[in-house]
Amino acid sequence: MTLLSFKLSTFSLKRSLLMLLALNINSAFAEDWTWHGFVSQGLIQAKESNFVNNDGDVSARLTEIGVNSVYKIDNDLKLSGQLMYLNGGNRFVDGARIDYLFLNWTPHNSLDWQFDLYLGRFKNMHWAYSSTRDVAITRPLIVLPQSVYFDSFRDIAVGSDGLALRSTHNLSIGELEFIWSWGATPVSLDMSRRVTSTDVSGETDQKFVHQASAYWRPSDSQMQWGVSLLDSDFSYEKSAVDRYFNGDFTVQRVMLNWRYSAENWELTSEIMQERVNVQGFIFPQLVRNQFAQGAFLLGRYDWSELTSWYLSYDYFIANKDNPSGSQLPVTSGGFIPSYFGYQRDAAISVDHQLAENFRLKLEYHWIEGTGRLGPNVVPDVVVNGQRIHNIWAVQLLYWF
Amino acid sequence: MPLFARTQETPSAPVVIVNASVKVQQLSHAQLRSIYMMRQVLWPDGSAIKVFVLPNRSELHLQFSRQQLQLFPYQLDRVWQKLTYSGTGTPPTEVADSAKMRELVASTPGAIGYIETGNDITELQIVHIQP
Repeated sequence: MTLLSFKLSTFSLKRSLLMLLALNINSAFAEDWTWHGFVSQGLIQAKESNFVNNDGDVSARLTEIGVNSVYKIDNDLKLSGQLMYLNGGNRFVDGARIDYLFLNWTPHNSLDWQFDLYLGRFKNMHWAYSSTRDVAITRPLIVLPQSVYFDSFRDIAVGSDGLALRSTHNLSIGELEFIWSWGATPVSLDMSRRVTSTDVSGETDQKFVHQASAYWRPSDSQMQWGVSLLDSDFSYEKSAVDRYFNGDFTVQRVMLNWRYSAENWELTSEIMQERVNVQGFIFPQLVRNQFAQGAFLLGRYDWSELTSWYLSYDYFIANKDNPSGSQLPVTSGGFIPSYFGYQRDAAISVDHQLAENFRLKLEYHWIEGTGRLGPNVVPDVVVNGQRIHNIWAVQLLYWF
Repeated sequence: MPLFARTQETPSAPVVIVNASVKVQQLSHAQLRSIYMMRQVLWPDGSAIKVFVLPNRSELHLQFSRQQLQLFPYQLDRVWQKLTYSGTGTPPTEVADSAKMRELVASTPGAIGYIETGNDITELQIVHIQP
């Protein structure tokens, strides 16, 4: 997507949101209009890594603010939008954005089959936490497992401009849900620098992202099983003065999802394999095809009605044929240490309900390896100079 | 009473009630779950479903969630939050107690809710939940 079309797209979305707000004002207090929001602010420190900042100091760049509205045009047609402000330091692009803005048409809604179409900018609905990964109250952890929810890729993976559908069926074997989406995300230079290399100056374009997923919740069971697929192509067009070359990237992901829910505890796991194919970019003749793998297991235990504990273990390897990363120093001429080939993260977190709609969350991560620190294609070996690095964070959450 | 203390009303089994305008007389657990997960938003005649719930701290809500929806309240909360903050749906309307639930279901076309067995159901219909 060109810069011009990106600007037009953004302008169009902004104009639509203003129309939505205007509609809302005119029908204030009407039953057809609902609005909600959230504010969360925290402190975070990631010493000896560039996860939040480059100096490793305690940072207040852990801010998530959003307000959303749904306007019911008819029983089968709704317009939904959310404005959001994010500040996550190096994790993703700072600032205000239209998080989603789409028309939701429901062509079929019977007691055993619900079918919805979404047109516009919608959230990624395919993974366990993808559709609300920026909304702190919906997240089990302040920092989600990076194997699956890689923050440097957040701005591209969080949603798409395009078309999506969801079909849910009540059958004798349980509930089946199918989700399909097709679209693309405008990639700004700032986003591109967090994903590929801090010194790129050319234009990155996501040509498409095609995703499909299926979830099965068996009858009389507290388990849920899911599978999701992703296929996406990108291109890079170098600028007039650029140390990089034109390039093409393909990212393909297969992921399995599982959850077990008991009265006072719950386990969630996602396991994925991701193919990343790079042609060009670093030098014109480069062809690199690599399969990354990752998985996490996350448990929640409700200590009381007000307090919940979370434990998580997340595992990522950048190249399944070289899980220790030992080939990285060899192939990079000593530039990239082996610990960029993996990342293992053990985390503990606790949240406590302070009052209705107010929650406090504390968290600590023990991390070995730097395989899930951005940028991904040309890593930052200067700031990320340690194999072992930790994160702590505390966050206050309010929602309405 | 502490803000989040569960009410000690020790209710009898929950019964599903709908507004007199609703033509449906029975639902399966799965169908009721679809309604309370806010995916099923229309009755078979095309009219909108208006869903009412009691607060999480209500013992009746806990019983209703477990027995009729076969879900724990936190699973419902998660579904509603996901709908709310992804724009794909709206959460149900929370009411303070059974008396208010009964009053609002009786007065709101297309409404569905739940009360204790044995309550006055004048101007209401009971929906039978089949396995």
